[in-house]
Amino acid sequence: MAEEKKTDAAAAPEKKTETKKDDASEKDPKKTAAPAGEPEEEEINPDDLFKRRPSVDLTPQNAHFVTSKGGMISLTLEHEEGEPEFFERVVVMRSFPITAPDEFLSVREPDTRKKGRGAEIGMIRRLSDFDEATRAIINAELELRYFTPVIQKILSVKEKFGYSYWEAETTAGKVSFVLNNPFSNIRVLEDQRIYISDMDGNSFVIPDPTALDRASYRRIEVYI
Amino acid sequence: MKLMYELGAEDQAALDAARTEGEELLYCVPFNIYGESFVNGFTAVTGRRIYCILHGRIVGQYELARCTEFSTSVMYGNCAFYGVVDGSTTMICRFISGRNLPRYSVLVKACELLAERAAAGERPGDPLTNSEPERFCPKCGRPFIHGTMMCPFCRSKKEVYKKLWGLTKGLRLMLMFPLLVAVFSVAFQFIVPAIQKTAVNEYLTNENMRHISIGSPEMRGFIVIIVAIVVIDLFQRLLGVIQGRLNAISGNKFTLMMRALLYEKIQNLSLASISNKSTGDLMGRITGDVGVVQGFMTGQLPNLFIQAVSFLLAIVLLVGLDPIMSLFVFVPIPLVVFLVSKFWETVQFRNRKAWMLNRRVNQLLQDTLNGIRVVKTFGSEEREIARFAGATERSSSQNESNAKIFDTIFPLLGFAVRFGSYLILFYGNYMLFKGAMTVGALHQFNSYANIIYGPLLYITFIPRNISNFLTSLGKILEILEEQPEVADISMPIDIRIEGDISFRNVTFGYESYNPVLEHVSFDVKRGEMIGIVGHSGSGKTTLINLLMRLYDVTEGEIVIDDVNIKQISQNALRSQIGVVLQETHLFSGSIRDNIRYSKPLASDDEVVAAAKLANAHDFIVNLPEGYNTIVGEKGYSLSGGERQRVAIARALIHDPQILILDEATAALDTETEKLIQDAINKLTENRTTFAIAHRLSTLRNADRLIVLDRGKLVECGTHQELLDLKGFYWRLVMAQRQDSGFVKKHESAHVS
Repeated sequence: MAEEKKTDAAAAPEKKTETKKDDASEKDPKKTAAPAGEPEEEEINPDDLFKRRPSVDLTPQNAHFVTSKGGMISLTLEHEEGEPEFFERVVVMRSFPITAPDEFLSVREPDTRKKGRGAEIGMIRRLSDFDEATRAIINAELELRYFTPVIQKILSVKEKFGYSYWEAETTAGKVSFVLNNPFSNIRVLEDQRIYISDMDGNSFVIPDPTALDRASYRRIEVYI
Repeated sequence: MKLMYELGAEDQAALDAARTEGEELLYCVPFNIYGESFVNGFTAVTGRRIYCILHGRIVGQYELARCTEFSTSVMYGNCAFYGVVDGSTTMICRFISGRNLPRYSVLVKACELLAERAAAGERPGDPLTNSEPERFCPKCGRPFIHGTMMCPFCRSKKEVYKKLWGLTKGLRLMLMFPLLVAVFSVAFQFIVPAIQKTAVNEYLTNENMRHISIGSPEMRGFIVIIVAIVVIDLFQRLLGVIQGRLNAISGNKFTLMMRALLYEKIQNLSLASISNKSTGDLMGRITGDVGVVQGFMTGQLPNLFIQAVSFLLAIVLLVGLDPIMSLFVFVPIPLVVFLVSKFWETVQFRNRKAWMLNRRVNQLLQDTLNGIRVVKTFGSEEREIARFAGATERSSSQNESNAKIFDTIFPLLGFAVRFGSYLILFYGNYMLFKGAMTVGALHQFNSYANIIYGPLLYITFIPRNISNFLTSLGKILEILEEQPEVADISMPIDIRIEGDISFRNVTFGYESYNPVLEHVSFDVKRGEMIGIVGHSGSGKTTLINLLMRLYDVTEGEIVIDDVNIKQISQNALRSQIGVVLQETHLFSGSIRDNIRYSKPLASDDEVVAAAKLANAHDFIVNLPEGYNTIVGEKGYSLSGGERQRVAIARALIHDPQILILDEATAALDTETEKLIQDAINKLTENRTTFAIAHRLSTLRNADRLIVLDRGKLVECGTHQELLDLKGFYWRLVMAQRQDSGFVKKHESAHVS
């Protein structure tokens, strides 16, 4: 929690000294005993210990996304007052990956081992509000993050040893995957889309099962 | 876990062309996703660079000296491996989580080490290793059976059978008996029609027999035949009785033996390997899998034997009796097999569908009945009724259509199966009229022909049965063959523990690449009460687990009274440690039995004394049945605080020198906590006590506090010392004070 403070832009003036002290206390308990005396006492306000950064609405006006040097997404965020804030890398997550993939995109600081979960910087209500270049950057990241090949053809399904072994042709190439419990691994949505998640953590989608060829459909029919 | 994969010739050539002199390959792990496709790429790490190799090309290359930080991220449907190159996060590759996440976790650590060394110009050093088991078969790439290291496709069947043979020691004769009986029953199955043939030909259809009186030699012959048939039948039934009884004995003996063996093994395995498996999984192995194996050995195996032998014998005999007529038997076989297997598919498909719809109804019922309060409070009864009606309707209409179809197909199938016998009837009678065949021979032939169809129908089930049997057997064998990780040394010491404890530079991780505790050292004098404080995940419970030696430390040592705990027998160690956990499990039985659990021979005096110490006596005597009240799953439900106090009494009864309280009071309200605190205060006198608590006020009586943060010991001292330090502990105290709405004043340094 002390680390969250570091990222807290609102508490900028206190930030430096506190961070320093924090590092020292973690490295060596004995050392802290000495400087613990004077200056810190006034600076740490227990109220701030749990403060989180407020999430803002990200609009084309206040948020500027560019590709970072490392090929990720950088964000410059303009605040109503004060200096614009720059994030070298942000991650974009879908709030409703299945039902509203282009809306309610949460833009966050990346999780790190040192700081733990990254905080939400802001939310993009609708991606379509942004210009084409920005949409392309964000969509590219989303496509990586939500890797869901489309199943075009189911080549075989074999139930053996309590598992179900599948072979299929997908937009990502021919794959074999294993389900340990087809009835819970295969999820049928109200709009008839089928999501399959396998034992390895892969996800596959069938956007319209009725558009599958007859043999493929028969193979999955029993589970839906 | 494999961290050095073999590169193909093409990939190896690409790597060799790219790397420089003296740049040794240290790690090579697969990556699976590139762009929008699944691929077989490799991430190769040398002392200088990281290479991504795909299809004989280097598709990515990173100087380690310019990298600072590495990480992985689990995303939807895939994972990514990142490095901070020149201060900017860069994605190095993507991979499938289930396959490679543990590998890349090691790689993160390894690359960070290498990057540091490369930046400092040091030598890369030896590669890290990792002993975590693989989760999928190195040969065929399919996942292992859950919780095991066994690939059902690649395992040698011979070896499994050999081990099974070893397990049947002492039961072999009994298990052989059904096979013996099978031989007889097959023999009789074939002898009886032969005798019947004689009876028909010599007597029933013999014109000369019409005028013969009882008592004549011919009549005697006929009677002999009848008697023979009766005797054979009786004998067969007798054998059946004996077989049934022996089966009951050998089957149950086998089950008993296997269950005892398995249970003993499970109890003796270390906590590490048991917590890898779920309770349900272990229960399944002891009850379900043993049952499957037993059923196969005593029931299906002899049956399989009978079916196979009689099938082959019938074919030989049929061909021998009349080669032409036997053709009529064989001709419909392919058709029958085809129809049966086709029909079987439909049956399975439809049964499955019905089962699934029915399951949905059950789920819905369970869901809404459990949440009936929510349904009522939101007034959504109507909607739930409609939902349930819809589900039951679908289920019942599926059942109806299944029944209709099955009832149509079954008779038709029966007709197809019998088709061969119609042909025999036709051809046989033709031969009979021609005088080329006797009635008896036709009857005999017909009987043998009928024998063939039984095994035919049975064949479709055999592969499934055998694979089920082998899977179950494999799961049992896996447990029996597992080596306990935490084992006593050959001559362990039984010491009387006084309670001086030191942790000396202890490092430990459940997975070697991910240490939960790092270089933890401290000393505790006998009789001290030590509070352990830290965020969740900081390693508090792990510290306790190590002290109880539920796991062995990776580095360093834990010493009790100057003896390394590895030299103390586990039994002696744990019998002198009392533990109270947050989740108190009381066994089904009386309170008295529960308190006596760690010392079954304790007298009632001791039970009452322990209960009094734990502040439990008062509430126990107020229960209708006092100490004899049944608690546990089906018994009297005690409140959280009451259960906790019974658990404390249980920990106290054997007068342990070391007492461990792991969040023992976390789930209780303040008043109950006060009662328990008083109990704890009484019992921590003269005992070395470790107490873990989130609520820091619980620890106000601790002599010293140990503060853990992310596996490291960051602060150690008395409450006041740590507050004065204004460090980690101070923050925790402040945070909690805010939580509980206390007025936060800087000067009020005391908690509670």
